[in-house]
Amino acid sequence: MIWFLAFTLFAIGSAAGFVMHRSDFCLAGAFRDLFLFRQGRMLRILMLLAVVVMPLYEAGRLLGLFSVPFPLFGPPSLVNPLGGLLFGVGMVLAGGCVVGTLYKMAAGRLTSLIAFAGLLAGSALYAEIHPWWAKLARRGTLSASVTLPQMLDLSPALLLAPLAVVACFCLRRWWQQGLLHQESYAEGHLQPWKAALWLALLSCASALVIGMPMGVTTAYAKLAGMLEALFIPGHVANLALFATEPLNFIHPLWDIPLRGGPGPRLDGIALAQFPLIAGILCGSACSALRLGEWRFYPRVPIKQCLWAFVGGTLMGLSARMAPACNVWHLMGGLPILAGQSLLFVAGLFPGAWLGSRLLRKFVI
Amino acid sequence: MTATPMDELELDIRGQVCPSTLLTTLKEVNGNFDRLKAGTLRLVVKTDARDATGTIPPMVKSMGFEVSVLKEQGYYTIVIVKEQQA
Repeated sequence: MIWFLAFTLFAIGSAAGFVMHRSDFCLAGAFRDLFLFRQGRMLRILMLLAVVVMPLYEAGRLLGLFSVPFPLFGPPSLVNPLGGLLFGVGMVLAGGCVVGTLYKMAAGRLTSLIAFAGLLAGSALYAEIHPWWAKLARRGTLSASVTLPQMLDLSPALLLAPLAVVACFCLRRWWQQGLLHQESYAEGHLQPWKAALWLALLSCASALVIGMPMGVTTAYAKLAGMLEALFIPGHVANLALFATEPLNFIHPLWDIPLRGGPGPRLDGIALAQFPLIAGILCGSACSALRLGEWRFYPRVPIKQCLWAFVGGTLMGLSARMAPACNVWHLMGGLPILAGQSLLFVAGLFPGAWLGSRLLRKFVI
Repeated sequence: MTATPMDELELDIRGQVCPSTLLTTLKEVNGNFDRLKAGTLRLVVKTDARDATGTIPPMVKSMGFEVSVLKEQGYYTIVIVKEQQA
């Protein structure tokens, strides 16, 4: 069963990596371009993704295929927007978010490789401040409930249905105005709106297979812990973060227990996220190779490399502070109206604005 | 009628962080606006950023230039010249 789950998640990751590379699906760009170029196309595409995922998640919940809210989502806290803000700055400086960094790195981009190293460094850095930050997050807790429908004591459908209707109305207008279409001369280009539909289906497939939407950053913390343990095992063993096991549930479809956390061991998190990461890398690399576009250009301005590392570090750090990355919140939390995700996204906007200003001033 | 001699300015932005291609190109277009408009300069941008083939052409076209995109070995060349009168 474990191998079946791992292989299926690898396949989901591969499809996601392929689709993202072909469509240049950039979640960081969605927020950045709003401030840098006054363009909102990718944000509209993101809305399309969320609107498609919303009823699918709700249907899955009603059919008992998976639990909503998903495991690992906790109550909202005042620290979530701060995590979103730092994450927004980081993803703009790094030239891509936690998944964008993966698929661009797999296609041969040096700055993404450096940003990935920063992601691991940031995750390791968070482990040092975790006890203090976790205490702050607990003090800032806003509600005992996880999602907005839970907070308002309403059926999720009652909130989701009107939202979906309004969003569909907007999307129809944008479609008629051609605002969802992306002109491109790149070979094998996939329209981002089509990619959004694919990613919506893949997010649901992930929820079916492992009971959770796509997410990668707890595995980054795990990887950072594993690397750190090679050099300072005693220190790693004493870090509180690596002893936590926030994942602890029984998958309703397969009836298997899944437990795990960011600690440097092979557990439920490793099963859920390592195959997905490997798949994204593989899918993107295959796409680039098939197009003859896999190239490694080492001659990159040194300041871009340095800022990519800073951006990656900020993302790694804030993804644990938030306490998850943008992919988890945007594709998993927003469609179920998770309080953490709503606050995280509220922080992403000022973060992307600040990151765009820093990018213009210092990076390019 | 004699052809105007045309200089070529090449920007090699391969491998750079996103969205360097678009920002650098716009900076160069603005910096050389008069020469590009006069048809004495053509700007050649080499990039491996696939998204740049979708972002640069519409922006530069809206500034009144003609743009062509060519796929090379592992990267794209975007050529920006004075708009030809019909």
